[in-house]
Amino acid sequence: MMEGTLGSWGVLIAVLGGAVRVSTPYLFVALGETLTERAGRVNLGLEGTLVLGAMAGFAVSFLTGSPWLGVLAGGIAGTGLGALHALICNLPRVNDIAVGIALFVFGTGLAFYLGKDYIHPRAEMLPGIPLGTWSDSLAIQSALEISPLFFIGAALAVGLRWALFNTRWGLLLRMAGDNAEAGRALGLSVNRIRLFATAAGGFLSGIGGAFLSLYYPGSWNEGLSSGQGLMAVALVIFARWDPVRCFWASLVFGGATALGPALQTVGITSGYYLYNAAPYIITLALLVWVSNPREALQGAPRELSISR
Amino acid sequence: MTDTPPFVEIVSLSKRFGSVQALDTVSERFPPGCFHALLGENGAGKSTLVKCLMGFYKADDGNILIDGRERRIDGPQSVQGLGLGMVYQHFTLVEPMTVAENLVLARPEIPAVIDWGAERADIARFMDDAPFTLDPDAPVSSLAAGEKQKLEILKQLWLGRRFLILDEPTSVLTPAEADEVLGQMRRLTDAGTLSVLLITHKFREVMTYARTVSVLRGGRHVGSAVVAETDEGHLAEIMFGASAPRADIARAERADAAPYLQIAGLRARGNRGELSVHDAALEVSPGEIVGVAGVSGNGQKELVEVLAGQRSAEAGTVRVARQPWTGARSEIRARGVRLLAEEPLANSGVRKMSVMENLALRDYDEAPLARGILVSRGAMRRKARDLIARYNIRTPGPDAALETLSGGNVQRTVLARELAGSVKLLVAQNPCFGLDASAAAEIRSQLIEARNCGAAILLISEDLDEVLQLSDRVLVMSSGRIVYETPGARADRYEIGRHMTEHDISETPEPEARTA
Amino acid sequence: MSDTANEESRLTNKVDRRYGALSEALLRSGAGLEAFVLSALALVVAFAIFGVFVAVQGLDPLAVYSALWLGAFGTSFSIENTLTLAAPIILTAFCTLIPARVGMLVIGGEGALALGGVGAVLAGMVLTGLPWWLGVVACCLAGSMFGAAWIMAAGALKHWRGVNETISTLLMNYIAAAILLHLVTGPIRDFDVSIKAQSVPVPELYRLGDIPGWSVHWGLVVGVAVVCALHILLRHTVTGFSMSVLGGNRRAAQMAGLDIGRLTLLACGLGGAAAGLAGAIEVVAVHGAVSESLLVGFGYTGILVAFLARQNPLAVLLVALVIGGIAAAGGLLQRRFDMPDAATDLLLGIIFICVLASNAFAGRLFRRTA
Repeated sequence: MMEGTLGSWGVLIAVLGGAVRVSTPYLFVALGETLTERAGRVNLGLEGTLVLGAMAGFAVSFLTGSPWLGVLAGGIAGTGLGALHALICNLPRVNDIAVGIALFVFGTGLAFYLGKDYIHPRAEMLPGIPLGTWSDSLAIQSALEISPLFFIGAALAVGLRWALFNTRWGLLLRMAGDNAEAGRALGLSVNRIRLFATAAGGFLSGIGGAFLSLYYPGSWNEGLSSGQGLMAVALVIFARWDPVRCFWASLVFGGATALGPALQTVGITSGYYLYNAAPYIITLALLVWVSNPREALQGAPRELSISR
Repeated sequence: MTDTPPFVEIVSLSKRFGSVQALDTVSERFPPGCFHALLGENGAGKSTLVKCLMGFYKADDGNILIDGRERRIDGPQSVQGLGLGMVYQHFTLVEPMTVAENLVLARPEIPAVIDWGAERADIARFMDDAPFTLDPDAPVSSLAAGEKQKLEILKQLWLGRRFLILDEPTSVLTPAEADEVLGQMRRLTDAGTLSVLLITHKFREVMTYARTVSVLRGGRHVGSAVVAETDEGHLAEIMFGASAPRADIARAERADAAPYLQIAGLRARGNRGELSVHDAALEVSPGEIVGVAGVSGNGQKELVEVLAGQRSAEAGTVRVARQPWTGARSEIRARGVRLLAEEPLANSGVRKMSVMENLALRDYDEAPLARGILVSRGAMRRKARDLIARYNIRTPGPDAALETLSGGNVQRTVLARELAGSVKLLVAQNPCFGLDASAAAEIRSQLIEARNCGAAILLISEDLDEVLQLSDRVLVMSSGRIVYETPGARADRYEIGRHMTEHDISETPEPEARTA
Repeated sequence: MSDTANEESRLTNKVDRRYGALSEALLRSGAGLEAFVLSALALVVAFAIFGVFVAVQGLDPLAVYSALWLGAFGTSFSIENTLTLAAPIILTAFCTLIPARVGMLVIGGEGALALGGVGAVLAGMVLTGLPWWLGVVACCLAGSMFGAAWIMAAGALKHWRGVNETISTLLMNYIAAAILLHLVTGPIRDFDVSIKAQSVPVPELYRLGDIPGWSVHWGLVVGVAVVCALHILLRHTVTGFSMSVLGGNRRAAQMAGLDIGRLTLLACGLGGAAAGLAGAIEVVAVHGAVSESLLVGFGYTGILVAFLARQNPLAVLLVALVIGGIAAAGGLLQRRFDMPDAATDLLLGIIFICVLASNAFAGRLFRRTA
């Protein structure tokens, strides 16, 4: 990706391409966490889910030769962790934020424990859809090579928004998150709804993880994910728990994350680590912006512990 | 609405919880179209009875008959098809959702994919026949308390339930809203399309709307009457026994003194950003009890929270002993301010800390409980033992966690802490809520005694009888303002009631609501 | 009150007083005893689950357990290893424990530790020419202050802006790591070292040595001293009592007139100072300079220690030993069974989950009803 001739345009294109590319894991994790939080739980362990999904995806793809099976495996691994989160939080007097941290540690530990053997081999990668063949510029071509998961994610965002407001399970899920007492009065098992929501959230996050190891950056090793799972939680708050807004927000976060590497390609290497810190700083700034000591976060599900 | 209500009968129903016989061979008949009131104090067994009917409890003994056939009620789900419905004291609505979404959610079978067009049409048709109308697209959070109550009732009717149990439905309504709701219910029972079982402790509602009434005391049925053939005095006799406990009010004459508490132009917002306290102003002098009456939800909670330092005011001034009041600990200590908040476990105590630590909350940082920067738990324990004995707090010991005490004993603990020592200003908020008659009388006499010793007392209560009984001056709080004042001796309940309702509560957010 | 009710209560109080002494003693120790039992049970269950994972890999769980013991406490070498690993996590545990006293869930120990190390090195660079003991103290103090300021920032954001402290401190961990890496590869880099990026070292004079006769540095003693000091602060001082009130019920703290902002900042400052001190000690006693090897997860392990110790300062010592032992045994597991070095991380994760799940049984083991 050498583009001396494009200069600053090159940076912009790299950022845009990076935004699309890097946003995909954010999007899947954010959609998953939206479901979980809409049902009234916070899952801070998504970082662990992400890493576990990445490992599972890479391992299965390596073993079977099919990256799509790897994606599925990543999703299943994520479902397991999500279900574990829900089951523990369903116990009385358990703090869902603390459980999230514990699962972060557990998930990461488990991933590196089981995945030791897969660090060096190469697995089959997910294909990208080349949409930039009309251009001669390598940079544009590379920026416009988009994974099908991006489109799946976008479709999911629209679909989930529709489902939350127009299907039975969407209504029930929102009720579990807005007024669990009312749900119980109707004879529903709020714990079961939350189990489903958190497991589904884990499934989507696991797919996000598989994307990391099977597409971009496309390998399995330490340092694969650094905080993306956590930033997705902030992203959901910023998107006010609306799946479609999650899509746009994840593009913004993706762009911010892609800034560092993009600048590197045009030779700006000093302050590399600081640029890498950009997404975290932006996330923190956003969080500060939308928070208010007196009132609950706008649009938050009423049962959510971080908004009370 | 053309269905006929079921004929509900309970025969010799009994229910025991541990050593407490909550319900003792109670029998009742509720013919279709009845409007039956169930009277009784807290703990008399009213809620146990209806919970057995609705399947939340399984009765130990006795039968429930619906339309002449005995029914096994195993849980809330089994009651679904029987036509019985209950409207609870606290709303079971989902606030962020719309009226339509709440109605659809209540259905026993919700379609997998919701056709909003068809649902809306159904709801519109239903509202045509129903006693109340609401905007289906309004989010519930934007409805007034009265409208939420109506929605709860509509929900039951929507589900085809024709035997409605109303559990203290008017506790959060203004008298006008209460009249509208109960009036409509009465009309429907007169037409024979609805049966109503009304749980209440307000005689006025019983006499005005019910056709029949029965009284429970200690889990037993102690009397019934036809409303047209009885009066309040007779009902009180059945409820309390021959002599109802009344606090002895010996008021000392008080010298005129400068106001100790002065509130002026106070503005404060509630939890969702709405303006709850709106230019409230009042004064309390030493040696007087000022009672603030009003329907719950008119800013009383927020006013007390501002005084307690739990909410900051947007505008206005609060002065204690003529100095500005910030609620800091040094001010509390210097000016002798004490607080008896509602829900003591949530507001004034720390559940996991011990009784003795809770008793020390006001003075753990001064001698003799503290020596320099160190606290002395030995001294705390000694003081606690003394207070436990003096105020008759039932606890295994000073080291028991506060949360292990019964509600009444938690209240006694807070009372002991707040009233021990010299009190110059006492803010009491629904101090007797949830207590039995004798404990309530005890607290009320403590308030009078404090008043006689020269304390300034601000009593904020949703129990109008309590306010009228205790206050030297009666104020009415409505829509966040103090709208009426009258000396206690000359208070006219109907005039007070009128002022409680005159000003409409607007729950739409003010234009100055926060942006982003 | 009516006469009969009065009489009744008097009688019951008399009965209560007779059995009072015994029941009071039980009450006082009951809470502590239950906490210990729950944590111990959680550990046992966690080890059992780990045994299943190990068995699935084809290894003998009992052999692994005995290797864990050997690697943790079996030889004097392993004990020294354990103590060296326990020292920092004793301190980082307080970064979670003290804010928990005021009702906050802070997990920023990793970031505070990182900046603590940076602070120590910067102090070493700036404050040259001091006598050795003053130099050591200055570096440690600088590290503590950096850590304190970092976590206090999160506390301020929480109190004045309502920002969730768990999310903010977690984000700040990554930001702190980025700052550390940036400084170490740039402004304070020691270009004489080429193997890996490392900062300018702390002056040799200011290095903290080992306890005579052992291969464990004095940082351990500092850790123990901090535990004692904090125990006294939290349990026996007026400020500690105020913190417990705030953590127990914020509304009660408000109506008691406590200065919540001050208490919040104080709790965060103390916690951050402890973690910062851990970072400073790692620099002056172990590495001599700041580098990526400071970021090995002491902060996150500290969180686990705090939870397993059920937020009790004195218990932190015992728990840190156990956790330090497990971490120390990692090398042996790797060498003897060819297990990935993430094995001990996995075990720690399982322990963490079991501890949290055991909360469901809190208050049920010893019933203390009135």
